[in-house]
Amino acid sequence: MAAHRRASGPPAKEMLRDCARDVVAVAEGIREVSARTSSVLFSPALTSSARRRPRTGLAARWALLRTLTNKQGLGGSAIVAPDGVGHLLGAAGEALGRESLAALVAVTSLRLRIAAVLLDHPEFGHDPGMRRLTDAVTADHGPEAVRALRALFKDRGAQRSLSALAPILAELLAIRGLLDEDPLSDETAWALAAGRELAAGPVSGLDAAHLSVPGRGDGAAQAVEPSAQEARSLATEGSFLGFLRNIDALTGDGRVLVQEVRGPDGVLRYVVQAPGTAAGRPRDDSPQDFAGAWRNLFLTDSPYTRSILLAIRAHGIPRGSDLALVGHGEGGIALLNLAQDDEFCRAYRVTHVVAVGARADDRTPADPRTWVAGITNRYDIVPALDGPGGPHSNRYRVDYTGPTREFPHCHLLRVYIEHLETVIPQARADVDRALTPYRGPVERSRVYRLRDRARPPEGYPFLAVPTTSLVTSAGPVDVPVRYYDSSAAHLCFPVDPDVARSLLPDVAWLVPTRLGRRALAVLSLYEHRCTTIGPYTELGLSVLVDDLWRPHAYDLAADLLRRADLRRTGRYVVSLAVGTEEARAVAEEVWAQPAVRGTADVDLQGRELRVHAPELGVSVEGRPGPGARCPEPDWVLYGRRGGSTVRTLVRTHGRPRLHARPRLRLRLDGAHGPLARYLQILELDAVRPGFVLTSPRFVARRSAGAVLPR
Amino acid sequence: MVTASRPATAAPELLAYVDDLRVDADRMDGYAQRLRGAAETLGNCAEAPEWGGASLERQATACVTAAIQLRAAAAALLVHAAE
Repeated sequence: MAAHRRASGPPAKEMLRDCARDVVAVAEGIREVSARTSSVLFSPALTSSARRRPRTGLAARWALLRTLTNKQGLGGSAIVAPDGVGHLLGAAGEALGRESLAALVAVTSLRLRIAAVLLDHPEFGHDPGMRRLTDAVTADHGPEAVRALRALFKDRGAQRSLSALAPILAELLAIRGLLDEDPLSDETAWALAAGRELAAGPVSGLDAAHLSVPGRGDGAAQAVEPSAQEARSLATEGSFLGFLRNIDALTGDGRVLVQEVRGPDGVLRYVVQAPGTAAGRPRDDSPQDFAGAWRNLFLTDSPYTRSILLAIRAHGIPRGSDLALVGHGEGGIALLNLAQDDEFCRAYRVTHVVAVGARADDRTPADPRTWVAGITNRYDIVPALDGPGGPHSNRYRVDYTGPTREFPHCHLLRVYIEHLETVIPQARADVDRALTPYRGPVERSRVYRLRDRARPPEGYPFLAVPTTSLVTSAGPVDVPVRYYDSSAAHLCFPVDPDVARSLLPDVAWLVPTRLGRRALAVLSLYEHRCTTIGPYTELGLSVLVDDLWRPHAYDLAADLLRRADLRRTGRYVVSLAVGTEEARAVAEEVWAQPAVRGTADVDLQGRELRVHAPELGVSVEGRPGPGARCPEPDWVLYGRRGGSTVRTLVRTHGRPRLHARPRLRLRLDGAHGPLARYLQILELDAVRPGFVLTSPRFVARRSAGAVLPR
Repeated sequence: MVTASRPATAAPELLAYVDDLRVDADRMDGYAQRLRGAAETLGNCAEAPEWGGASLERQATACVTAAIQLRAAAAALLVHAAE
């Protein structure tokens, strides 16, 4: 069929979106037909007449029931009834996994919308979450796709990866709702699928009584001191860009800022500034987490919105004060949620809401006088759900075509700030003009950390450890570095001990551990999807080495029974290639491991392991084969800095498996750097690994390197 | 398309349901056509996903089946109303 396709015509993505719109309209129509047919089936008139004339009455009801439940027709759960037997039957259909035709057609429409996004942003192909989603969305058969999507939404690890895919959150949430994997109401899911306006979300209004009881609410806000550097960078004069720079300084770790500004007329006003989420980083215990981000988009009652309200209360803003709300991404959406709330708008006069990188025109503030501005880069598809909303006198919308196309780069606040200075200076001037009452000296700034009491911190309890901050060339880094969602495969090759020795530093006490007559080289492949230093890929070559001081023949065997912190043997890291500058700086400067930057396409979660790193000249492909559960392979890693050895402890928690007969093959396409060169010296591309350790999903923490006098 | 003989003695409420079911059956036929149109549009685009056309075709067929069953239900209801 593809061979006969025309390559001309309207742009494919526009065509897909048009098709999606048409298809969802059909889905809504089918749903209405199902609802009407259900109402006939359960109508009192038919019920009573069927009692009087059961022979034909039963036949009629049976025909209606068959229409509603035939999976070749309207589908298994097409019965729409608010309560009683009808509700039970509909619920039973859903429980059996028999989606209604209407839901399936709506899901097809959403899949088309996601396909349009994929066409526009091919870079998503590298994202692990999108990779899994693409597999699910592009499954050939509808039921297969539905099963895959259901599995994806049940998989918490995958959800974390999906949280980086803000562009299609609306679609994903709608699919979840339609497949009943989400507590959102059916109506909300349908509204999202159809691109209808969500006036106030299914939960309208914030429950003030709920908030007034400490500890009962989902969110909490605590005043905290910003670091000295952050305090210096906070704007001292009210201006649009100043507020945005403040937000940029606080991005990603669950803090909001409240500033008091003395306006030109001498009136004290308040500006609440809320950042968005940062992809691939843990949320700690702030409400800006994955679920929060999803809920924020559509519910006025989200934990983030509640927490911001608590911050406003904790600040002691007097009732009736003028308030401007400025936010980026999810922060903007949470603030728009607040502005939609009647009670909030009765307590404070919300004069302005400015959302950058967030769609503002599908929200109607409770106070009609509120001036709402939305500034979006057309390529930043976080805000672009389904086209612009209608014109409004108190709305200001700028949807510009920025020079930055690649997501998530085009969603970064600092990129928006740059564009406001260079690409759309008029928009900056317009918003500044609108914010005139807030353009005066800042009299007080207070930072609030938002906490979500309803959930434990991410990675709890394994990753709930004290941390300290270390300075690196890529900025401050908290150690231990924590890995919240990673995959790994360690390919273990028996190698010639003399060749392995030649790769180690020229010191007498670094000696490869012998396993019989061989030494052991380990090629470690990692995909880190969520870490405290951001998501990255890691390829590393290491050699198992003896105790630095008193090597014994049976150290390795004894170490297998010891805790990692008591082990004497370890792996000397010969070479690393990591995907980001931050990871490279940490490896080199904190762990003293020789690292270069190099991107890799890593997929370690399927039956087949695949790593392609053309830049590095390294690829690995194949199946690890049957495996057995094994104890946690906590590691001791060694590096060298000057005349010292640096020892790093790696603690992991996952479900590792040992594969004794791997069918994996390493390929080296020319030596493109130190890693490929060392692999070539060991001739690892000529042999298969002796055994492989895999861990499709694990959490880990890597301590700061301890400097040893050796 | 909504044509059928109506017994004079039939309950008016049930007859209204019969009409509704028939109208909905016609609607389902219309939806099938729209889904097939969308499938054809996708088929004409080189960059459209392969699964799109096939999924929409399957769902269009389901719409036609639903239309047939709605008409059958309308007929059964008419018999009941006329009894």
